[in-house]
Amino acid sequence: MAIADVKEYTHLSEEDVEQLGRELDAIRTEIEESRGDADAAYINRLIKIQRYLAIAGRLSLMLGTQNKKTRVPAAVTGATLLGLHKILENMEIGHNVMHGQWDWMNDPEIHSSNWEWDTAQPAEQWKHSHNYVHHQFTNVLGHDNDIGYGILRMAREQRWHPHYLGQPIFNALLASLFQWGVALHDLDIERIRKGEKDPKEMKRQLKQIFKKGRNQVLKDYLVYPALSGKQWKTTLKANASANLMRNLWSYMIIFCGHFPDGALHFTEEELEDETRSEWYLRQMLGSANFTGGPLLHVMSGNLGYQIEHHLFPDLPSNRYAEISVKVRELCAKYDIPYTTGPLHRQYGQALRTIMKLSVPNSWTSSDQPEPPGPVAERRRKSDEERQPRRQELGGWSRSPREWGDS
Amino acid sequence: MLTEASRIHDRAWVTQCALSRICGGCAMSLSRPVAFLGTLDEVNRNAFHLPPMHRECAEELLEAPGADPEWQLVTTAGFEFVRPGRDEIETQPTFQPNSLLG
Repeated sequence: MAIADVKEYTHLSEEDVEQLGRELDAIRTEIEESRGDADAAYINRLIKIQRYLAIAGRLSLMLGTQNKKTRVPAAVTGATLLGLHKILENMEIGHNVMHGQWDWMNDPEIHSSNWEWDTAQPAEQWKHSHNYVHHQFTNVLGHDNDIGYGILRMAREQRWHPHYLGQPIFNALLASLFQWGVALHDLDIERIRKGEKDPKEMKRQLKQIFKKGRNQVLKDYLVYPALSGKQWKTTLKANASANLMRNLWSYMIIFCGHFPDGALHFTEEELEDETRSEWYLRQMLGSANFTGGPLLHVMSGNLGYQIEHHLFPDLPSNRYAEISVKVRELCAKYDIPYTTGPLHRQYGQALRTIMKLSVPNSWTSSDQPEPPGPVAERRRKSDEERQPRRQELGGWSRSPREWGDS
Repeated sequence: MLTEASRIHDRAWVTQCALSRICGGCAMSLSRPVAFLGTLDEVNRNAFHLPPMHRECAEELLEAPGADPEWQLVTTAGFEFVRPGRDEIETQPTFQPNSLLG
């Protein structure tokens, strides 16, 4: 369905939609005008904490494991601290810095152009696959590759195929190896399968992924274990555990953002003509929050405020909590769903969807809640008025110079 | 190298550059500072229509045939990307630099 046809807001008149947009604009302006030293202090503090965690974790593994008595507790402590470091760096720092949330600080290090995060996917590819493809085409089937990461069936509108019977296993593999799944994300497996991917671009991307992935492997599985001397095996296992911890956590948080009941999918993409207010609406209806305390939100990169993040992806993440209060009030005022719930429930719903959609639709029922209110008179565009389907999506536009270099 | 200069007025390309944080002139990752080209009116309103660029690409574009003689170069550390609203003067997305440099 196109955003203009979504039942969840067809009770609103066009003027209502525009007024909602103006109220969201006002929230945005308020945050832009008030961001300053306190926000800068927040991100600087987080980066310091993340680095202390890394140092403490590495030292624990290098020194604490040398003594037989302290080996096991040091390994467990080291792995945990490293895992927390990776989670914090990937979720609250890397992801948000690469959105440009902190560019206004004019800090050469904490800038979307310069940050390279501690995971296998090159930052450049993340900024394309996530910032552009996912955030611009949020939950548009066939365009947003975050819907099932190219291997899972996550919407009833997606055609079922017998290979989806393996979905529970694919899901477990994706969760455990999430770093590597994300690393391959911008390759766009679907386009490769259809033979639509430019081979030169694919080669360039693979080269970039190989280089970044190799450095990650060398760091975690060669250099730091070697620094632990005879206890290299302990450190290697601890590093693998830290990566697994980060993989499982980030997978769960990301799957809670768009797959709990209530988060909608869209099957048309007249995005060229979408007004700002309609774009806001699509982001709100396609996203889902989860509730929890401040620590949970920080460790989740503030993606528990997924709705607010999708509305304002380039506003500082530490402000999403205060924004959420106002957005929730607006949803109540306009009778629009505000999908949220405790983390375990949101993930439980996403997991149930994964299981149910592994079999044909006729075997299961939909879990989407009923939309509110009667339908208002709204004018829809005719086919003649609609933009033609976009063709260039999923492919980079690269200069011949860059291709020549690859 | 301005391989993408012909696309700087293309709305889809402008959006892709804004979100992927790539240069509208050469399609490579942006660096700091980010450069914008705009007319005096755009500079005064702090609302630019051309995509973000490397400073070198913007300077090259200024010298290129077909460059608007009114264009001025502005550099910034960051920017807001603003999609057009239904009843606004702007019908195209705009960029609002939020930390102007020199």
